[in-house]
Amino acid sequence: MGTVVTIDIYTENGRYGSEVTLALARARARLQRADAVFSTWKADSPVSRLRRGEITLADAPPEVADVLDLCAFAGEISGGWFDPWAMPGGVDPTGYVKGWAAQGALAALAIDEISGAMVNAAGDIASFGGSEPGAPFRIGIVDPRLPGQLACVVGLTGAIATSGGYERGAHLIDPHSGRPTTRAASASVCGPDLGLADALATALAVAGHPVLDVIGSLDDYEALIIGVDGRRRWTDGFPFLSPD
Amino acid sequence: MTNVKIASLDDGGNFRSQSIDQQSIPLLEQQALQAQSANIQGISGASYTSAGFAQSLQAALSHLGL
Repeated sequence: MGTVVTIDIYTENGRYGSEVTLALARARARLQRADAVFSTWKADSPVSRLRRGEITLADAPPEVADVLDLCAFAGEISGGWFDPWAMPGGVDPTGYVKGWAAQGALAALAIDEISGAMVNAAGDIASFGGSEPGAPFRIGIVDPRLPGQLACVVGLTGAIATSGGYERGAHLIDPHSGRPTTRAASASVCGPDLGLADALATALAVAGHPVLDVIGSLDDYEALIIGVDGRRRWTDGFPFLSPD
Repeated sequence: MTNVKIASLDDGGNFRSQSIDQQSIPLLEQQALQAQSANIQGISGASYTSAGFAQSLQAALSHLGL
Protein backbone atom coordinates (compact mmCIF):
# COMPACT_ATOMS: atom_id res chain seq x y z
CA MET A 1 0.00 0.00 0.00
CA GLY A 2 2.97 2.29 -0.51
CA THR A 3 3.80 2.74 3.12
CA VAL A 4 5.50 1.19 6.13
CA VAL A 5 4.07 -1.00 8.89
CA THR A 6 5.93 -1.39 12.16
CA ILE A 7 5.17 -4.15 14.65
CA ASP A 8 6.17 -3.82 18.30
CA ILE A 9 5.70 -6.72 20.71
CA TYR A 10 6.30 -6.96 24.43
CA THR A 11 7.06 -10.22 26.22
CA GLU A 12 7.43 -11.17 29.87
CA ASN A 13 11.20 -11.07 30.07
CA GLY A 14 12.13 -9.49 26.77
CA ARG A 15 12.98 -12.87 25.25
CA TYR A 16 11.01 -14.80 22.71
CA GLY A 17 10.97 -18.28 21.27
CA SER A 18 9.58 -20.08 18.27
CA GLU A 19 5.91 -19.43 19.16
CA VAL A 20 6.51 -15.69 18.97
CA THR A 21 8.51 -15.98 15.77
CA LEU A 22 5.66 -17.99 14.24
CA ALA A 23 3.05 -15.43 15.36
CA LEU A 24 5.11 -12.63 13.80
CA ALA A 25 5.38 -14.60 10.56
CA ARG A 26 1.59 -15.02 10.52
CA ALA A 27 1.10 -11.30 11.15
CA ARG A 28 3.43 -10.46 8.26
CA ALA A 29 1.67 -12.94 5.99
CA ARG A 30 -1.68 -11.27 6.69
CA LEU A 31 -0.27 -7.85 5.80
CA GLN A 32 1.32 -9.17 2.63
CA ARG A 33 -1.90 -10.93 1.62
CA ALA A 34 -3.93 -7.73 2.20
CA ASP A 35 -1.39 -5.75 0.17
CA ALA A 36 -1.50 -8.26 -2.71
CA VAL A 37 -5.31 -8.31 -2.82
CA PHE A 38 -6.23 -4.69 -2.09
CA SER A 39 -3.37 -2.51 -3.32
CA THR A 40 -4.51 0.14 -5.78
CA TRP A 41 -0.81 0.84 -6.42
CA LYS A 42 -0.41 -2.60 -8.03
CA ALA A 43 -2.05 -2.71 -11.45
CA ASP A 44 -2.65 -6.48 -11.31
CA SER A 45 -4.13 -6.69 -7.79
CA PRO A 46 -7.72 -8.03 -7.64
CA VAL A 47 -9.01 -4.66 -6.41
CA SER A 48 -7.23 -2.79 -9.23
CA ARG A 49 -8.78 -5.21 -11.72
CA LEU A 50 -12.21 -4.81 -10.06
CA ARG A 51 -11.90 -1.01 -10.37
CA ARG A 52 -11.18 -1.33 -14.09
CA GLY A 53 -14.16 -3.65 -14.54
CA GLU A 54 -11.98 -6.57 -15.64
CA ILE A 55 -13.41 -8.85 -12.94
CA THR A 56 -16.61 -8.90 -10.91
CA LEU A 57 -16.86 -9.03 -7.14
CA ALA A 58 -17.71 -12.73 -7.43
CA ASP A 59 -14.35 -13.32 -9.17
CA ALA A 60 -12.36 -11.51 -6.49
CA PRO A 61 -10.97 -13.19 -3.33
CA PRO A 62 -13.77 -13.48 -0.72
CA GLU A 63 -12.23 -10.90 1.64
CA VAL A 64 -12.91 -8.16 -0.93
CA ALA A 65 -16.68 -8.62 -0.51
CA ASP A 66 -16.21 -8.81 3.27
CA VAL A 67 -14.31 -5.52 3.33
CA LEU A 68 -16.83 -3.81 1.05
CA ASP A 69 -19.62 -4.91 3.43
CA LEU A 70 -17.66 -3.40 6.31
CA CYS A 71 -17.13 -0.23 4.25
CA ALA A 72 -20.88 0.05 3.66
CA PHE A 73 -21.46 -0.31 7.41
CA ALA A 74 -18.85 2.37 8.17
CA GLY A 75 -20.41 4.60 5.53
CA GLU A 76 -23.80 4.26 7.18
CA ILE A 77 -22.42 5.08 10.64
CA SER A 78 -20.57 8.12 9.28
CA GLY A 79 -23.72 9.56 7.73
CA GLY A 80 -22.29 9.15 4.23
CA TRP A 81 -19.05 11.05 4.91
CA PHE A 82 -17.04 7.85 4.36
CA ASP A 83 -17.88 6.50 0.90
CA PRO A 84 -15.43 4.29 -1.03
CA TRP A 85 -17.93 4.20 -3.93
CA ALA A 86 -17.60 7.98 -4.43
CA MET A 87 -13.85 7.88 -5.04
CA PRO A 88 -12.42 8.89 -8.43
CA GLY A 89 -11.52 5.88 -10.58
CA GLY A 90 -14.06 3.47 -9.11
CA VAL A 91 -14.67 1.84 -5.73
CA ASP A 92 -11.63 2.32 -3.47
CA PRO A 93 -11.70 0.66 -0.03
CA THR A 94 -8.17 1.91 0.83
CA GLY A 95 -9.56 4.14 3.60
CA TYR A 96 -10.76 1.02 5.43
CA VAL A 97 -8.28 -1.64 4.34
CA LYS A 98 -5.15 -0.34 6.03
CA GLY A 99 -6.82 -0.43 9.45
CA TRP A 100 -8.55 -3.72 8.71
CA ALA A 101 -5.27 -5.34 7.66
CA ALA A 102 -3.42 -4.07 10.73
CA GLN A 103 -6.24 -5.35 12.97
CA GLY A 104 -5.95 -8.74 11.25
CA ALA A 105 -2.19 -8.80 11.75
CA LEU A 106 -2.69 -7.96 15.43
CA ALA A 107 -5.05 -10.94 15.81
CA ALA A 108 -2.20 -13.22 14.72
CA LEU A 109 -0.11 -11.90 17.64
CA ALA A 110 -2.66 -12.84 20.32
CA ILE A 111 -0.72 -15.68 21.98
CA ASP A 112 0.14 -16.25 25.66
CA GLU A 113 3.81 -15.32 25.24
CA ILE A 114 2.97 -11.81 24.00
CA SER A 115 1.68 -9.47 26.72
CA GLY A 116 1.38 -6.39 24.56
CA ALA A 117 1.52 -5.62 20.85
CA MET A 118 1.10 -2.71 18.48
CA VAL A 119 0.74 -2.85 14.70
CA ASN A 120 1.33 0.68 13.40
CA ALA A 121 0.26 1.06 9.75
CA ALA A 122 1.56 4.48 8.69
CA GLY A 123 0.25 6.23 11.80
CA ASP A 124 -2.85 4.11 12.45
CA ILE A 125 -2.34 1.70 15.37
CA ALA A 126 -4.05 -1.54 16.40
CA SER A 127 -3.02 -2.80 19.84
CA PHE A 128 -3.68 -5.06 22.79
CA GLY A 129 -2.12 -4.99 26.25
CA GLY A 130 0.52 -2.45 27.14
CA SER A 131 4.21 -1.96 27.82
CA GLU A 132 3.71 -2.83 31.52
CA PRO A 133 0.99 -4.83 33.30
CA GLY A 134 -2.11 -2.67 33.72
CA ALA A 135 -0.62 0.31 31.89
CA PRO A 136 -1.99 1.25 28.48
CA PHE A 137 0.40 2.17 25.70
CA ARG A 138 1.14 5.89 25.63
CA ILE A 139 0.67 7.21 22.09
CA GLY A 140 1.65 10.65 20.82
CA ILE A 141 -0.59 12.36 18.25
CA VAL A 142 1.40 14.36 15.70
CA ASP A 143 0.90 18.14 15.75
CA PRO A 144 -0.50 18.88 12.25
CA ARG A 145 1.11 22.33 12.22
CA LEU A 146 4.54 21.04 13.38
CA PRO A 147 4.66 17.39 12.20
CA GLY A 148 7.96 16.75 14.01
CA GLN A 149 6.23 17.42 17.32
CA LEU A 150 3.37 16.05 19.37
CA ALA A 151 0.00 17.73 19.89
CA CYS A 152 -0.91 15.51 22.85
CA VAL A 153 -0.48 12.06 24.39
CA VAL A 154 -3.29 9.51 24.75
CA GLY A 155 -3.66 6.26 26.71
CA LEU A 156 -4.43 3.63 24.10
CA THR A 157 -7.00 0.89 24.65
CA GLY A 158 -7.46 -0.87 21.32
CA ALA A 159 -7.01 1.22 18.22
CA ILE A 160 -6.31 4.79 17.13
CA ALA A 161 -6.42 6.21 13.60
CA THR A 162 -5.45 9.72 12.53
CA SER A 163 -6.23 11.40 9.21
CA GLY A 164 -5.06 14.71 7.81
CA GLY A 165 -3.55 16.26 4.73
CA TYR A 166 -0.20 17.33 6.20
CA GLU A 167 1.86 14.29 5.09
CA ARG A 168 0.63 13.67 1.57
CA GLY A 169 -1.22 16.87 0.62
CA ALA A 170 -4.89 17.07 -0.30
CA HIS A 171 -5.87 13.42 -0.88
CA LEU A 172 -9.07 13.18 1.18
CA ILE A 173 -12.11 13.34 -1.08
CA ASP A 174 -15.47 14.79 -0.01
CA PRO A 175 -17.94 12.10 -1.18
CA HIS A 176 -20.64 14.74 -1.58
CA SER A 177 -18.66 16.94 -4.00
CA GLY A 178 -16.05 14.46 -5.34
CA ARG A 179 -13.36 17.07 -4.61
CA PRO A 180 -10.38 17.05 -2.24
CA THR A 181 -11.57 18.64 0.99
CA THR A 182 -10.53 18.77 4.62
CA ARG A 183 -12.36 20.60 7.36
CA ALA A 184 -9.87 19.61 10.07
CA ALA A 185 -6.05 19.71 9.98
CA SER A 186 -6.00 16.46 11.95
CA ALA A 187 -8.73 14.00 12.93
CA SER A 188 -8.12 11.12 15.37
CA VAL A 189 -10.50 8.32 16.32
CA CYS A 190 -9.99 5.77 19.14
CA GLY A 191 -12.00 2.58 19.55
CA PRO A 192 -11.95 -1.21 19.58
CA ASP A 193 -11.50 -1.80 15.84
CA LEU A 194 -8.91 -0.09 13.64
CA GLY A 195 -10.80 -0.67 10.38
CA LEU A 196 -13.80 1.33 11.59
CA ALA A 197 -11.60 3.88 13.40
CA ASP A 198 -9.65 4.42 10.15
CA ALA A 199 -12.85 4.98 8.15
CA LEU A 200 -14.30 7.31 10.78
CA ALA A 201 -11.06 9.32 10.99
CA THR A 202 -11.18 9.81 7.21
CA ALA A 203 -14.83 10.92 7.45
CA LEU A 204 -14.01 13.22 10.38
CA ALA A 205 -11.13 14.92 8.55
CA VAL A 206 -13.38 15.56 5.54
CA ALA A 207 -16.56 16.59 7.38
CA GLY A 208 -15.34 18.15 10.64
CA HIS A 209 -17.88 18.82 13.38
CA PRO A 210 -20.89 16.85 12.03
CA VAL A 211 -18.94 13.59 12.25
CA LEU A 212 -17.49 14.55 15.65
CA ASP A 213 -21.07 14.63 16.93
CA VAL A 214 -21.78 11.24 15.30
CA ILE A 215 -18.74 9.65 16.97
CA GLY A 216 -19.68 11.25 20.28
CA SER A 217 -22.96 9.33 20.12
CA LEU A 218 -21.22 5.94 19.68
CA ASP A 219 -20.53 3.93 22.84
CA ASP A 220 -17.05 2.64 22.08
CA TYR A 221 -15.46 5.35 19.93
CA GLU A 222 -13.95 8.72 20.82
CA ALA A 223 -12.53 11.47 18.62
CA LEU A 224 -10.35 14.59 18.54
CA ILE A 225 -10.11 17.18 15.78
CA ILE A 226 -7.46 19.86 15.47
CA GLY A 227 -8.51 22.74 13.22
CA VAL A 228 -6.27 24.57 10.76
CA ASP A 229 -6.19 27.38 13.36
CA GLY A 230 -4.97 24.90 16.00
CA ARG A 231 -8.30 24.88 17.84
CA ARG A 232 -9.22 21.50 19.30
CA ARG A 233 -12.55 19.82 19.86
CA TRP A 234 -13.06 16.33 21.23
CA THR A 235 -15.70 13.89 22.45
CA ASP A 236 -16.26 13.55 26.21
CA GLY A 237 -14.35 10.31 26.70
CA PHE A 238 -11.28 11.04 24.55
CA PRO A 239 -8.38 9.38 26.44
CA PHE A 240 -6.01 12.34 26.89
CA LEU A 241 -3.03 11.72 29.14
CA SER A 242 -1.31 15.07 28.55
CA PRO A 243 -1.71 17.92 27.76
CA ASP A 244 -5.31 18.53 26.80
CA MET B 1 8.85 -6.11 30.10
CA THR B 2 10.94 -5.19 27.13
CA ASN B 3 10.28 -4.31 23.55
CA VAL B 4 11.88 -7.20 21.72
CA LYS B 5 11.11 -6.87 18.04
CA ILE B 6 10.48 -4.30 15.40
CA ALA B 7 9.61 -5.38 11.92
CA SER B 8 8.56 -3.37 8.93
CA LEU B 9 6.87 -3.90 5.60
CA ASP B 10 7.94 -1.87 2.63
CA ASP B 11 5.72 -1.20 -0.33
CA GLY B 12 7.10 -4.17 -2.24
CA GLY B 13 5.68 -6.40 0.48
CA ASN B 14 9.16 -7.37 1.65
CA PHE B 15 10.24 -7.23 5.25
CA ARG B 16 13.47 -5.50 5.98
CA SER B 17 15.26 -4.10 8.94
CA GLN B 18 14.84 -0.40 9.54
CA SER B 19 17.04 1.69 7.34
CA ILE B 20 17.14 5.41 7.77
CA ASP B 21 19.13 8.00 5.86
CA GLN B 22 22.22 9.10 7.74
CA GLN B 23 21.27 12.70 6.99
CA SER B 24 18.02 12.46 8.88
CA ILE B 25 19.54 11.03 12.05
CA PRO B 26 20.21 14.34 13.87
CA LEU B 27 16.61 15.41 13.27
CA LEU B 28 15.37 11.99 14.33
CA GLU B 29 17.42 12.08 17.50
CA GLN B 30 15.98 15.47 18.36
CA GLN B 31 12.48 14.19 17.73
CA ALA B 32 13.11 10.98 19.62
CA LEU B 33 14.29 12.95 22.63
CA GLN B 34 10.95 14.70 22.67
CA ALA B 35 9.21 11.33 22.31
CA GLN B 36 11.33 9.92 25.12
CA SER B 37 10.55 12.84 27.42
CA ALA B 38 6.84 12.22 26.77
CA ASN B 39 7.45 8.51 27.55
CA ILE B 40 5.51 7.26 24.57
CA GLN B 41 5.60 3.90 22.79
CA GLY B 42 3.99 4.88 19.49
CA ILE B 43 2.91 7.74 17.24
CA SER B 44 -0.41 8.30 15.48
CA GLY B 45 -0.56 10.75 12.60
CA ALA B 46 -1.64 11.28 9.02
CA SER B 47 -0.56 8.44 6.73
CA TYR B 48 2.98 8.73 5.52
CA THR B 49 4.40 7.20 2.36
CA SER B 50 7.42 4.88 2.38
CA ALA B 51 9.60 7.92 1.66
CA GLY B 52 7.87 9.97 4.36
CA PHE B 53 8.42 7.27 6.99
CA ALA B 54 12.14 8.03 7.24
CA GLN B 55 11.29 11.56 8.40
CA SER B 56 8.52 10.51 10.75
CA LEU B 57 8.43 10.49 14.53
CA GLN B 58 7.56 6.79 14.43
CA ALA B 59 10.83 6.16 12.59
CA ALA B 60 12.62 8.15 15.28
CA LEU B 61 11.08 5.94 17.96
CA SER B 62 11.82 2.72 16.08
CA HIS B 63 15.37 3.75 15.18
CA LEU B 64 16.39 4.42 18.74
CA GLY B 65 14.51 1.39 20.05
CA LEU B 66 12.57 3.48 22.57
